[in-house]
Amino acid sequence: MKKGMIKATDAFERIVHWSLAISCILLMITGLGMMFHSLNFLAVPVGGLKNLKLIHNFTGLFFAVSLFFSILMWWREAGVFSFPEDIEWIKTAGGYLWHVDHVPEVGKYNPGQKMFFITVALFGAVMVVSGLIMWFPLSLNMNLVRFMYFLHALGFLVIFPFFFVHLYLGTIGSPGSLPAMVTGWVTRAWVKKQHPKWLHEMEESGKLVVYGEEKKPSSHHA
Amino acid sequence: MAEYVKLYDGSKCTGCRGCQLACKQWNQLPARQTRNTGTYQNPPALQPTTWTLMHFQEVSNGNGVKWFFRNEACMHCTDAACVKVCPSGALHYTAFGTVGLDREKCIGCKECIFACPFEVPKYDPATDKVAKCDMCQSRVENSMIPACVKACPTGALLFGEKEKILAVAAARAKEVGGDATVYGDKFVGGTHFVYVLPEKVSLYAKLPEKPRVPLTVIAWKDWLKPLSLLAAGGVLLGSFLHYIIHGPKSPDESGDSSAQ
Amino acid sequence: MTNHWIDIQFSDCILAMGSNPASNHPISFKYIQKAMEKGATLVNVDPRFTQTSSRAHLYAPLRSGTDIAFLGGMIKYILDNNLYNEKYVKFYSNAPFLVNPAFRLPGENDGVFSGLNGTKYDKSTWSFQKGADGVILKDPTLQDPNCVFQLLRKQYDRYTPELVSKITGTPVDKLLQVYKTYAATGQNGKAGTILYAMGWTQHTVGVQNIRAMSIIQTLLANMGVAGGGVNALRGESNVQGSTDYALLFHILPGYLRAPLASLPSLKDYIEKSTPATTEPKSLNWWKNYSKYITSLLRAFYGTNVAPEEAYDLLPRLDDGKNYSWLSLFDAMYKGEFTGFFSWGQNPACSGASSNKTRQAMAKLDWMVNVNIFDSETGSFWKGPGMDPAKIKTEVFMLPCSASIEKEGSITNSGRWMQWRYKAVNSPGEATPDGELISELFLKVRELYEKEGGPLKEAVTKLTWDYGPKDAFGRVTHLDAHAIAKEINGYFLEDKEINGVLYKKGSLVPSFALLQDDGSTSSGNWLYCNSYTEKGNMAARRSRKDTTPIGIYPEWAWSWPVNRRIIYNGASVDPETGLPWDTEHPVIIWDGAKWTGDVPDGVAAPGAGRPPFIMKPDGVASIFGPGLADGPFPEHYEPLECPIDKNLLSPQFINPTIRRFDVGGTELDLRATCDPRFPFVCSTYRVSEHWQTGLMTRWCSWLAEMQPSMFVEMSEELAKLKGIGNGDSVVVRSVRGEVDAVAIVTARFKPFDINGQTIHQVGIPWHYGWVTTAMRKYSHDDKKPEVFTFGDSANLLTPFIGDPNTMIPESKAFMVNVDRKGVK
Repeated sequence: MKKGMIKATDAFERIVHWSLAISCILLMITGLGMMFHSLNFLAVPVGGLKNLKLIHNFTGLFFAVSLFFSILMWWREAGVFSFPEDIEWIKTAGGYLWHVDHVPEVGKYNPGQKMFFITVALFGAVMVVSGLIMWFPLSLNMNLVRFMYFLHALGFLVIFPFFFVHLYLGTIGSPGSLPAMVTGWVTRAWVKKQHPKWLHEMEESGKLVVYGEEKKPSSHHA
Repeated sequence: MAEYVKLYDGSKCTGCRGCQLACKQWNQLPARQTRNTGTYQNPPALQPTTWTLMHFQEVSNGNGVKWFFRNEACMHCTDAACVKVCPSGALHYTAFGTVGLDREKCIGCKECIFACPFEVPKYDPATDKVAKCDMCQSRVENSMIPACVKACPTGALLFGEKEKILAVAAARAKEVGGDATVYGDKFVGGTHFVYVLPEKVSLYAKLPEKPRVPLTVIAWKDWLKPLSLLAAGGVLLGSFLHYIIHGPKSPDESGDSSAQ
Repeated sequence: MTNHWIDIQFSDCILAMGSNPASNHPISFKYIQKAMEKGATLVNVDPRFTQTSSRAHLYAPLRSGTDIAFLGGMIKYILDNNLYNEKYVKFYSNAPFLVNPAFRLPGENDGVFSGLNGTKYDKSTWSFQKGADGVILKDPTLQDPNCVFQLLRKQYDRYTPELVSKITGTPVDKLLQVYKTYAATGQNGKAGTILYAMGWTQHTVGVQNIRAMSIIQTLLANMGVAGGGVNALRGESNVQGSTDYALLFHILPGYLRAPLASLPSLKDYIEKSTPATTEPKSLNWWKNYSKYITSLLRAFYGTNVAPEEAYDLLPRLDDGKNYSWLSLFDAMYKGEFTGFFSWGQNPACSGASSNKTRQAMAKLDWMVNVNIFDSETGSFWKGPGMDPAKIKTEVFMLPCSASIEKEGSITNSGRWMQWRYKAVNSPGEATPDGELISELFLKVRELYEKEGGPLKEAVTKLTWDYGPKDAFGRVTHLDAHAIAKEINGYFLEDKEINGVLYKKGSLVPSFALLQDDGSTSSGNWLYCNSYTEKGNMAARRSRKDTTPIGIYPEWAWSWPVNRRIIYNGASVDPETGLPWDTEHPVIIWDGAKWTGDVPDGVAAPGAGRPPFIMKPDGVASIFGPGLADGPFPEHYEPLECPIDKNLLSPQFINPTIRRFDVGGTELDLRATCDPRFPFVCSTYRVSEHWQTGLMTRWCSWLAEMQPSMFVEMSEELAKLKGIGNGDSVVVRSVRGEVDAVAIVTARFKPFDINGQTIHQVGIPWHYGWVTTAMRKYSHDDKKPEVFTFGDSANLLTPFIGDPNTMIPESKAFMVNVDRKGVK
């Protein structure tokens, strides 16, 4: 670990995120295996579609738990927009799409990330609820169950492409991001580029954890 | 292979239930404990062990009473919602145009149960599979008519090539006159089990007047499914283009050092 | 059936009355449907709206037990509107015959015919006037007030639509619609058929119900024609066969009379049994009686015993004593029996007033129960209300084979003898009935030979050549073909008849060749011609047919002599020989002989031979003095009925029935016009079950479809009694009670009987306690896969029968219905 690295995430956060990521990937793969006859072969390694269905259903439970903790953990930081800087950020699209001289400074999570979080939280919940109803539909209203199938598919339509956006931006589209998820330590340069406002705030409050430095007592906390 | 259609002519049926029994016998479906609930109809609805069921329904008005009989079984739609939703291909179209069910392939996901506009497929918890009439595929493949048709004493059930049977049905409905209609040929691409109903369709209990593949199924399978691929593909392409045109959003190394 | 199943399709009007063919004879509907497709009208008369009614063009309700009033009204309608075939009536019936002037009709004699003495008629006035030459006097103009035709008119003149409607509860307009529709078949070229079943027979006027229809069919020229006839839909696939082979106590095979104690010799018996006629042109086929009984005795005892001696070995009936079901069980109940073979039956559920039959069996020392399943009879001693510790009856169960597990023949309603091959082996120890009987016989014979006994030769001298034999001469395996051949009959010596030599040991080609000199044998003369040197006729399966009326003469075989429509001699004009219906001729005169169906007794056209050759006078009996309760049908109320008087006459019930309730036991009670039992009840069947359900309740698929005893009632009655559809209820009669599920239905409607609202309910009779979930099952008891609910309907039915046949009155009796727990 290089000296001067900044701690962006703690272990719990990373575990929850990984759980969410892995279950989501599994759900997508198993789901695709059932969604397209041409992808039925995805069930071969697990011994057939029936097992694939079981894996999908139980992974769904795992996903539900992960989602629950994710929301609990992140909704304050990523679930609420702050004005007016988020609007300003959105106006420039965060500098992702065209050249912007000065990207408005945002907090730990930029509005793009917030939108992603809200969407995942919302549609994740939709997937969980509709999935559960699809799993145990027999005594329920026919039209309700039918609608759940629709919602599940709609959720997939949203989450599936979002997943790739997230994957891209978390990796090659935004070099330096991945360590946040892997080790939790990121470079100061990356933070400054991606979340300058958060950096300022953390520094001001003295909460910033920098590798190799003693944590400075906060002047605001007496 | 020719398309085959089974016809149930309600104007010739006497409700003897030979069809219901023959179905059980040929398909070796066990009986379940039932009780009389104030009707001859039993079991009360289709079951994983009852693939053909006679409905008994009384309709009385000032002029007396009418006793309707109706043979309920899989309608074998041309545009079958169950086949559309079946993830494993267990439900499939046969060479006869009917909807077959490969029980080995069924994974018990129950999607077909809620897709079917006629509520035909039934889930059996004992086997974790669904079951329904397969129009005696095992017989038809061996040049025999379905067991229910074979058992019918009055000719209320007929089986034959599609055009022929549909012509018979149309002629019979005309002959019976009044409110008699052919049911099945006008929706879901035409069913391979059609009725001649001597009375208005709306009078028959639990018979959808205008059955269709549910909109939710169409939205799901015909719109959302391809759209999700399209969207994901779009995103991948977009990301690629973003990478090569705009480039990644790299951290500013100089800024990093200056802050130190 | 005078006709046969296929023939129904040629009918122009099918009357289903006293039957429910859609439910109970589903295959018959194949032909009813065909007839309807050709334009026939289906008319259904029934107390409730049935599956048959649902297909009928015309449905009319009637109160159970009032069929004669209904049909009497139809006779009046036909006569009043001149809708009968005059020529047919004149030539082919006894309508022109002059009756004894002393004869009185019920209308002029307090509701009974002349000659009633206690419960029996002195029939001396039920006779025809004869000329000096002994020939019956006739009035071909049908005008003489004493002629049968005028008496018929007089008898039914009282049956006006208004009065009939008051009795039957059928609205007048419905009555007239039915009359009009059916009477239209009296036109030349039209045929009407009646399909009846137990709804007509199971009454204290059962035989007269059918007589009434026979009169209608005669008036309308519907006898002997294609699509006509009087057709009993049998309650069992082989009931026709069983009666042909003397299942009943008073007959021997082929409807020969059982010998009476008062007829000591064969000569006396033949003299008494052979009818005579003075009608010069009548063939009087029964004049051959001596040939048939002699050949039968030869079949029984072979040539070792002379026919006269063989007759001496036959069991006799005491004169005037009745040995029918009700009498036997009454005697059993009174402890007059020690042992009982219950063979292929279930009296604990099938017997009227089943509590009595169940109690009766407890009075026995032993009972042998031969059946394919455990039954309420075989296990009666552990049934409801029984204390096994107090019952001495020792019960032996002999498991027997089902019909598909053995070779043989059955005779269907259409009199077809159809050969059946064995399909599968019997399970376990189950053995064909024939083998059981054979073993039993050999054992009894052995005992007689060893120990002797009264009339020992009756058993020891019987022939028993029914298959391969062991070293001791005992049959080791029963050969169905050997039995079938013996039934057909052999020449026992070389015999020349009409210049043709028949070799000893050859099969007799037809009953016309049976002899009374002992040179032929025949186990059942009616079946002579069924198994000839040409082979087993019953096994034929040719679909060849050259007739336009579906005769299929080479499909199986039909008695007599392969004739498919009996009385077909009446299907042609007596003078011209041309068929009444030229489109559907049964027989056609080709100038030298009749072609088509096997002609029935008819001579060349215009020869004047009357065609009903089994009647001594050769004509159909509109006036039928042979029955116990009158030469014409007369309406009487059922033993138990809801109204306090017969609206037609002062005579309330059939005066000739044997009343078990008078001086009878507590299980023979009668409750008529009793406020405790205000509703008319009728028993019936459902498609899914058969008889007492013994064979079908054990079949889980059938039990699944109809799992439970139920009682059907109108919405009006249900409201009156606070009963909801599907409620548990109790149906009670004065003799017993049974639990049921209520089916509240618009298919039952209250009747308006003479201004009084009368409710009727109906119950199936297929259930029994053996297959229920409530009973105790010990470890070796077979348990049904699907339990049924409820016990037998016969716990309620009255112990009373028709005076001619003693068939119990299960179709009309009085009950009450309450929700379970409400008394």
